[in-house]
Amino acid sequence: MTKQMLRRVRFVFIAVIVVFVLLSARLAYLQILRHDYYWYRSEMNRFTKITLPAPRGEIYDRDGKLLVSNRPGFVVSLMDMGEGYDPETVSLLSEILDIEEEEIYSAIEGRQYMRYLPLQLKSDLTPDIIARIAENRWKLKGVNIDVQPIREYREGSVAAHVLGYLGRGTVGESTQELWAEAGYQYQVGDLVGQDGVERTWEPVLRGKDGEQRIETNNLGQPINYFEKTEPIPGNNLYLTLDLDLQKVAEKALEKRVKALQKEGNKYAGRAAAVVMDTRTGAIRAMANYPSFDPNNISENYEELAKDPLRPLSNTSIQGTYPVGSTFKMVTAAAALEEKKISDRDVYRCNGVITLYNDTKSCFNNRAHGRVNFYSAMAVSCNIYFYQVGLAAGIDNLARYAAELGLGVPTGLTDLHGEAQGTIASREYKEKVTGGEMWYPAETMSAAIGQSYNSFTPLQLAVYTSILANGGTHYRPYLVDKVVDYQGKVVHQTQPEALRKVNVSSRTLSIIREGMRRVTQPGGTAYYYFSRLPVSVAGKTGSAQVAALSSGIPAHSLFVGFAPVENPEIAVAVIVEHGGIGATGAVPVAAEIMQYYFTGSTGDSAAEEEGGSEEEARDELEEVEEEREELDEGREEAGRLEEE
Amino acid sequence: MLLDRRLIKNFDFYLVLLLLALCGVGMLTLYSATHGMSDIPDPFYYLRRQLLWFGIGIGVMLLICFVDYINFQHWARYFYAVTLVLLAAVLFIGRAAKGSMRWIPLGPFDLQPSEVAKILMIIVLAKLLADREGKLNRFQDLLVPLLATMVPMVLIFLQPDLGTSLVFIVLLLGLLYMAGAKRNHLLIIIGAGLAAFPLLWFKLLKDYQKMRLMVFLNPDLDPTESGYQLLQSMIGIGSGGLTGKGLFNSTQVRLDFLPEHHTDFIFSVLGEEMGFLGAAGVLLLYFLLIYRILWTATQAKDQFGALICCGVAIILSFQILVNIGMTISMMPVTGIPLPFMSYGNNALLVNLMCIGLVLNVGMRRHKIQF
Repeated sequence: MTKQMLRRVRFVFIAVIVVFVLLSARLAYLQILRHDYYWYRSEMNRFTKITLPAPRGEIYDRDGKLLVSNRPGFVVSLMDMGEGYDPETVSLLSEILDIEEEEIYSAIEGRQYMRYLPLQLKSDLTPDIIARIAENRWKLKGVNIDVQPIREYREGSVAAHVLGYLGRGTVGESTQELWAEAGYQYQVGDLVGQDGVERTWEPVLRGKDGEQRIETNNLGQPINYFEKTEPIPGNNLYLTLDLDLQKVAEKALEKRVKALQKEGNKYAGRAAAVVMDTRTGAIRAMANYPSFDPNNISENYEELAKDPLRPLSNTSIQGTYPVGSTFKMVTAAAALEEKKISDRDVYRCNGVITLYNDTKSCFNNRAHGRVNFYSAMAVSCNIYFYQVGLAAGIDNLARYAAELGLGVPTGLTDLHGEAQGTIASREYKEKVTGGEMWYPAETMSAAIGQSYNSFTPLQLAVYTSILANGGTHYRPYLVDKVVDYQGKVVHQTQPEALRKVNVSSRTLSIIREGMRRVTQPGGTAYYYFSRLPVSVAGKTGSAQVAALSSGIPAHSLFVGFAPVENPEIAVAVIVEHGGIGATGAVPVAAEIMQYYFTGSTGDSAAEEEGGSEEEARDELEEVEEEREELDEGREEAGRLEEE
Repeated sequence: MLLDRRLIKNFDFYLVLLLLALCGVGMLTLYSATHGMSDIPDPFYYLRRQLLWFGIGIGVMLLICFVDYINFQHWARYFYAVTLVLLAAVLFIGRAAKGSMRWIPLGPFDLQPSEVAKILMIIVLAKLLADREGKLNRFQDLLVPLLATMVPMVLIFLQPDLGTSLVFIVLLLGLLYMAGAKRNHLLIIIGAGLAAFPLLWFKLLKDYQKMRLMVFLNPDLDPTESGYQLLQSMIGIGSGGLTGKGLFNSTQVRLDFLPEHHTDFIFSVLGEEMGFLGAAGVLLLYFLLIYRILWTATQAKDQFGALICCGVAIILSFQILVNIGMTISMMPVTGIPLPFMSYGNNALLVNLMCIGLVLNVGMRRHKIQF
């Protein structure tokens, strides 16, 4: 070998050394320096977690009657059997399920590396579809029918607003915070409570999903199964609601609204009733009409959301109304507590009164003659309360309204979206009108629950309860206890006295006696309650919402409690545009109380006396009520002051 | 023709030992990579076939030792003719696989002319350059070897098999260099090749080949297709760490994440299972093998024998660099197998024959003195 060639061979050999050094260095870099990273990547390749969904907790009424459960629903899914998806299967499935083929293929596309999961195509299959799939079983490759829990609201629309529903929609920040506290992170697409206790108790109902670690191959097909964490089922809720009472209340509202509509009242259509335990704050019934069926909310949502009667809205806590004469206990409390009047003071009612250049009247301009507090309550004499309201003054009226639970938060935490309402006051008027003054004529309106006074049915129930129980504001609640899947009580709600109101027990007992007179002979609610085996105290109301000339009927209200001697429940009812108390709210309240105290609705008895009920109503209308020219009065008063 | 005692004395047992070690590791890795393949029920299918061809290859290797390599010089023109005929034939009667025509089916055995061409072209070029010993000073002196290489190279390129055609360029340049061609002349050839690159890129390269080159430059370009192999190979090797996951414990293979794991990417299986120690150990074996071959070249009794050894060293080194470099993302993805380890009977046979040539040259290293 020549010297030159030897030199060149050596040079090539050095090049070979360099190559091997570079290769070794690169290997060392990958295998030693970056080992952790690539180890992690290889583990990522191998392992996948699949979620084992926790069964959601069930919901029961106070007696353990099942309200919400999980029903097995059938889900059809398509799986890769290791050789891709079969096009004939896809086209046949598309026909049976009535889904476009492209839709199925795009779903498959989205599943590129998740073939270990069956691809769900349609849930809650009807028996027809299941039958058709079964018939074509041999043609459908990789098609499975699986069972998946579907939330079932056993009583349909009953208590729908309290129970709520599940959905995949977004939820409010407050709800997400609640979950974060419970250690659960919200994921887009999760089926979560959207309303009612399904929403507020979401973290409790949800349970804890389990997990299964699986080893998958490059196609995502499962190869080995590893450690498994069993799901922990969600906790069961026991509500304070009494299912039967709830049903009675809802049926009574529906019956009343339909009767009004039948009579030609085209404005009637919405109503609400709340029944609360005066001794604890437990809500026994919360009924709204109209309602909706949470079982098929997702299909009907658009339609329900557009309905002018707002069936999705929980009127009991979200509707705010002028409350008419049901406010008169506030007026009395203010005047009595501030020593402006005594219960025996006599005022004269001529049916019409002109004060501060404003003429106001009693219902049908009826003159009640000489009235004191008790007789004024019984007949709901406006003229009496105008004067008492003026004696107390607007500031006292506003103060005692809040003191008695109106226009302030009730303390309910079991439902979301409660409205607070507004109290007629100088400050409030100033705020909404941009600084306008308060006129005495407006005090007269405010004294009978008009003007800016606007409260929710639940506030009325709390207010009635405070009057009934001697001045304690209990926090209203809907969830009595939480029981885990093993039957252990993990939470028991204790009645919570939020505060003792600053009204003397003497004043409260005077007011209760006044309320009792309402259901006595000569009282505005005598007819309906006279038939009950229990003594009831209450107050009717009709709240004017439009000028008299418009012909739009007033809202009909009733608040009451029973038994008078030892109160157990408070009831608040509103029938929108139901007219006077007796034509709308009173029959509903009476039916609720009858059921509560006797365990029967007395429907049969009422039907037997059908004829006499009509007569009684005619008679009652003679006796009854109040009517106020709210808007006109206020305007006139304004003009007067300007002059 | 009996073997002289001196010939046996000069037989390079050291080289054979290195070869057996490499093939042993190769067989183990191949078995590990193939025994669990879901589509092949027989776990020994690949190992058995590879062992069969290893046996045949060792036999042929020893046979080659019996024939004094001097004779090959006279047969070179026939070798060249056979090369061209086979390469031309594969374009017409070849079996297509993965978009290219690389095999001629011969009963139970597929012949891969491009592999056969490697050993034949080593002999052909060694002969051409040995004839021109000391007469390679002018550029035109290089034209005959250049043209002689270009013809089979273009035929291979037409299959198309870019990787293997590159092997021939490197073989030509390496041998020209060692045979004494002027550096400037080699630079001109390299320059001309680079100048032709745009032509190659726009006219001749298939899309998948362009993609492979681009993915090499940026592996994240396409993590699901071309980049996928590369990424999975690096994950396999990197996750092996210093000592590896243990023989037969490659998760990348068992779960099918690594494509072509018994052929082009066998080295990643080794890296994953045996770790850095195993992979670097195999690199060391290769290095010693190359060293031994080049050493034999320096001991050769004539220019022809020296060039044959250099040719074998160049071809093996280049394939090792490109294949291992590919598995650790130092080189673009090409279909070049790893000598003595990748599954493939043609390559194994041809590589063993190449070692046979080197042994042959080594055995006859001393000029016979009478």
